[in-house]
Amino acid sequence: MSQRKRVAAVGSQTKHFRRSQQVVLDEDDGDMSLTQPTSSQVQKARENFTPVQVDRKVAEVVQFILIKDQKKIPIRRADIAKHVIKEYKALYQDIMKRADRTFEQVFGLKLVEIDSKNHIYILVNKLQPVPGEPISMCPGNPKTGLLFVILSIIFMKGGTVKENVVWNTLKKLRVDVGEKHEDFGDVKKVIIDEFVRQKYLEYVRIPHTDPLEFEFRWGQRAEKEVSKMKVLEFIGELHNQEPQSWTQQYREATSVETSQR
Amino acid sequence: MENIKIWMAWWSPEKGWDPLVYAYLKLVSPDLRVPCLHVIIVNGKKFCKYGPCSKLTGIVESKMCCIIILLHSLKQLESGGAVIQIKTTITLYKRAVSLMSDSRRRVSRGSQEESASHANGMGGRSRPDRAADTGDEDDGAGPSGIHEEDDDPARRREIRSQYRDLINSVQQNREDMLNPANNKLIDVLEEANKLFANVRQAREAALDAQLLVLATDLGREKASQLHAEGSSFDPSAFAEHLLSFMGLNRLEEEEDDQDGCLYGYLPPDAWQRLSKRAEYCFRTAPSFHYMLGSFLAEPPPPRQRVERQRKAPSKEAKRMMPTQLKKMEESHQEATEKEVERILGCLQSYYSDDPQSPISYYEFVVDPASFSRTVENIFHTSFLIRDGLARIYLDDSKLPCIAPVEEGEVEPGGAAARHQCVISVSPASWREIIEAFEIKEALIPTPKTLTQEN
Amino acid sequence: MSRPMGDSHKRFLQTLMSNGIVSSLQAKALHRHCCETHGAHYSPDRLDEFIDVINAQLQPMFMHIRKGMSEEDGLQYYALVNMAETDVTRMSSDYADNELELFRKTMDLIVDSENGTASSTDILNCADSLKSKKMKKKETEHVLNKFVQDKWLNEKQGEYTLSTRCIIEMEQYMRMIYQDLIKMCFVCHNVAFQSQICENTTCGIKMHLPCVARYFKGRSDPHCPSCNDFWTHEIPEIQQAQSQGSQSQSSSAVPAPNPTPSTSSTRRSRRS
Repeated sequence: MSQRKRVAAVGSQTKHFRRSQQVVLDEDDGDMSLTQPTSSQVQKARENFTPVQVDRKVAEVVQFILIKDQKKIPIRRADIAKHVIKEYKALYQDIMKRADRTFEQVFGLKLVEIDSKNHIYILVNKLQPVPGEPISMCPGNPKTGLLFVILSIIFMKGGTVKENVVWNTLKKLRVDVGEKHEDFGDVKKVIIDEFVRQKYLEYVRIPHTDPLEFEFRWGQRAEKEVSKMKVLEFIGELHNQEPQSWTQQYREATSVETSQR
Repeated sequence: MENIKIWMAWWSPEKGWDPLVYAYLKLVSPDLRVPCLHVIIVNGKKFCKYGPCSKLTGIVESKMCCIIILLHSLKQLESGGAVIQIKTTITLYKRAVSLMSDSRRRVSRGSQEESASHANGMGGRSRPDRAADTGDEDDGAGPSGIHEEDDDPARRREIRSQYRDLINSVQQNREDMLNPANNKLIDVLEEANKLFANVRQAREAALDAQLLVLATDLGREKASQLHAEGSSFDPSAFAEHLLSFMGLNRLEEEEDDQDGCLYGYLPPDAWQRLSKRAEYCFRTAPSFHYMLGSFLAEPPPPRQRVERQRKAPSKEAKRMMPTQLKKMEESHQEATEKEVERILGCLQSYYSDDPQSPISYYEFVVDPASFSRTVENIFHTSFLIRDGLARIYLDDSKLPCIAPVEEGEVEPGGAAARHQCVISVSPASWREIIEAFEIKEALIPTPKTLTQEN
Repeated sequence: MSRPMGDSHKRFLQTLMSNGIVSSLQAKALHRHCCETHGAHYSPDRLDEFIDVINAQLQPMFMHIRKGMSEEDGLQYYALVNMAETDVTRMSSDYADNELELFRKTMDLIVDSENGTASSTDILNCADSLKSKKMKKKETEHVLNKFVQDKWLNEKQGEYTLSTRCIIEMEQYMRMIYQDLIKMCFVCHNVAFQSQICENTTCGIKMHLPCVARYFKGRSDPHCPSCNDFWTHEIPEIQQAQSQGSQSQSSSAVPAPNPTPSTSSTRRSRRS
C-alpha cells in the first residue's frame, strides 16, 4: 500500500515539474534526433539527476514499452520521449541503452529498431519456444496461423504477391474476406489494418492499375521477428519436401540467417 | 531471389549520369546475362531493349538523357554495394523529359551541326518557327514560350489519343501480353517508339511514361514466370496441405470438385492447431497485461452503503428471489400470468401434436402480422423459460428451438442450471426473420381480449 | 544483492506474461521444464526461491509474481501482477475507458453482494448508466466475455465472480477502495468474496467455500468458529486436487446445461 502511494506521489511530482519546465520543453513535441544534446548538456543532466531518479526513468521506459507492446504496434521514439523521458531528454541515449539491457537481462527480450529514419522500435524474443512445454510460452492466438499463411505465400512467391492470390488461398482455407470469421471476425480488417499497423505486412497499391490492385510484402516487423528458414522448414514439412528444393528461397533464408548472426 | 524492381534515373548535360546508375552499368558485366528491359532515350529518340544488358556499356558513353531499367535481380546489384532509390513516378519521368527538352534547346541554339542531325531525327517535321501558341492545355511542365516547331494542338491531340488507345489495349490484353509464347509486349513498345518520335512536350511524354510503367510491370511479371528456379510454389497446393494439417474432415471427396465448391469441414480448433505450429517460426515477445493501474482509483458511489444497509436484514435474499419476483408480477399485472399460461397451452398442444419434430423458437414467437405482438410473445415466453416450464435449445443447424418441459422434469422455482440471454429484435430483424423462416401465420393466436378491443 | 537471472528464469517469466496466472502444479512443472531446457540446476522444492530471483529483478518495474489462493478450488496459484498506478500504467491499451468503467461497476456489484457474485442482468443494467460512453447490451455481453477470456472474471450460469488472477492483483486496491465492505475469511484471513456468512447478524463472519469444506470436514454438527451459532449453510465437499494442467477455474459440478440462444442468433438464423 505504502508503495502504491509513493508511486502516486512521484507521479504528481513529475507532473508539477513538467509544468514549471514548460517554456523549455514546449518546442519539443516531435523527434529528438534533430536536437542531439551536446556532451556538455549530457554531463550537466547527469549531475542534475540523482542515480535513483535515472533508475526510475529507466524502469518507466521499460514499463511504457511493455504497455505499448500489448497490441504489438511498433513504438515511436518520439512517443517515448514525449510520454516518459520528458525532462530527462539529454540522457535519452543512456536511458534507452539501460532499458534495452533490462529487456535482455530480465525478460529475455530485445529492443530492435526497425526504422532507423523514423526511430521505430519493436520487442523481439531472444528465447524460442521449445517442444514439451507444460504450459505454452506463447499466448496461442489463432491469428498467428493466419499471418503465417500470408507471410508464407509472399515469401515463396518472391517477396511480393497480389492481394488476389492471398484472398483466393484463404478462401480455400474457409476464410472468406467478405464475411465474418469465427476466429478472426472481420478478416480483411485484421489483415490490411491490424497486421499492417503492427508492421507484419505491407499492403501497397500497384501503380497504374485500373481497377485498383494491391500487393502484399513482408513488413519490417516480420523481417525481424519471423525466421524465413523456419517458415521454409515448416512449408517443407507440409509438402513433404526438402526445404533445399526451393533453391532461391533456401538461398535467401540462409543469407538472412547468417547475416543476423 | 526474384526481387524485380523498376529503376529510373536520368542524365543531364550539367551533371552527367546519376552516379548510382553509372555504378550499376559498370557493375553489370556482359556475362551476367540478366534479362532486363532497358529504355534508353538518346536525344529525343527512344530505344527499348529486352534482353541481357551486355551491350549497354557502349551506349552509355553516347548522349543519353533518360534511362529506365527493369532489372531482374536486385540482389546482384546490392552485392555490388550500390543502393538505389527506387522510383517509378511519372513526375520523375516528366522531370527527365523537361531536362531533355532543355538540353535539346541548348543544343539547337549552340551548334548548327547538332541542330541538323536533331531535325533529321524528327522525321523531317521541321517547320518555320512561329510564336508559341500559349497552349492553355499544356500543363506547364515545360518552360513557357518554347521556341519549338511542333506545338500544333491538333497533332498533339492525335498523339495523345493514339497513346491512350495503346494503353487501353495493353490493359485489356494483360493475360495475352504475359503469355511467354508471344512477343506482343515488344510489339507494343516498338509502336510506342514510333509515337514517341513525334512527342515534343511533357504532356504527351507523360502518357508515354504511363505506358512504359505498364509495360515494365508486365515485363516484370513475365520475367518472374520465366525464371522460377528450383521447385515451383503453388498456393493452391499449399492450401491443400494446410487443410490436411489443420485436420480437415473430407466428407464428400468423391463429389464433383471442379465447380470450385469446398467440401469437408475444419474442426473448431483448426486455426489454433496451425498457430501452435507456426509459433515456432516467430520470435514474438510475450506481452504483459494487468488490471490494477489501468484506471484511476475511484471510491464506489456512496449510495451503495445505504443500499447495503437496506438489504442487510434479508440474509436469504438469494433464496427468496423467486417468490419476491412472483409477488411483484402479481401486483403489477395479473394479465401477464394469464397470458403466459395461454402461451404454455399453445406450446404444449403443438408439442403433443408431434413430439418428435422440434418447434423453431422464432416460428413460435413471431407474429408476421404484428411486430408488437412478436415482442409481447417473446416477453411472455421468457417467463416460461425462467420458470422452467419450457426450455430453449439449439438444433443441429444452431437454430434455437423451444419445447415444453414435462411435468416430472419441472424443478421448483426454476432452479435448474440457468443461462441468461438477451434477445433483441428490431422491426428490421423481425422482417428478416419472417422472410428467412417463411413465416406465414402466427402460431400463438392473438388473445381474445385484444381482438375484441380492436 | 539480487542474483542475476538465467535463461531459465526468463523463460519462466515469459510464460507467466503470456498466461497471466498458473496453478502451483503448473508452476512446478514449468520450473522443472525451464531449468532442464537451459541446463540450469533444478531443485524441486526451491520454486519459491527461484521466483524470488525473478521478483528481485522485477521490483524496479513494479511487477511481481504473487501467490494466492483460488476461492473456487482452494488451491494455490501464481500470478504476474502490476503494482504501480501511474500515468504510464494508465496508458494500457487492453480496454477502452467505458470497458474499464464497466469492470469497476462489476466489481462494485460483486463487492456489494453477499456471496461475491453479480448477475449478468445487473451488470447489463448498469451498462446503461456508464459515464464515459454508453454500451449496447450486445456490446456489454461481448466485453464481459472478453473479461472472462482474459481471466479477470469468471462466469457460470449468468453469474459473474472475480477471478483468482483479479483477486491476487487487486486485493490491496479493493481493501483500500471498499474498506469495510471487504471482509476477510475467518479461516485463511484472505479477502473473501465467494463465501458463506454466519447467519448470526451480530457475528456475520465470512468463510471461503473451500475453507468451509476443510474446516467442517467430518463434523456432523457444524458451528460458527467465532460465535458458536449453528452453521446453517450446506457444507461443500472438499475439491479433489486438480490433476495435471487443467487451468479451468470453474468448479461447476453441474452438468453442462442446455445451450440457449445467444443474442446473435437472430442474425445467424438466416437460412441460405
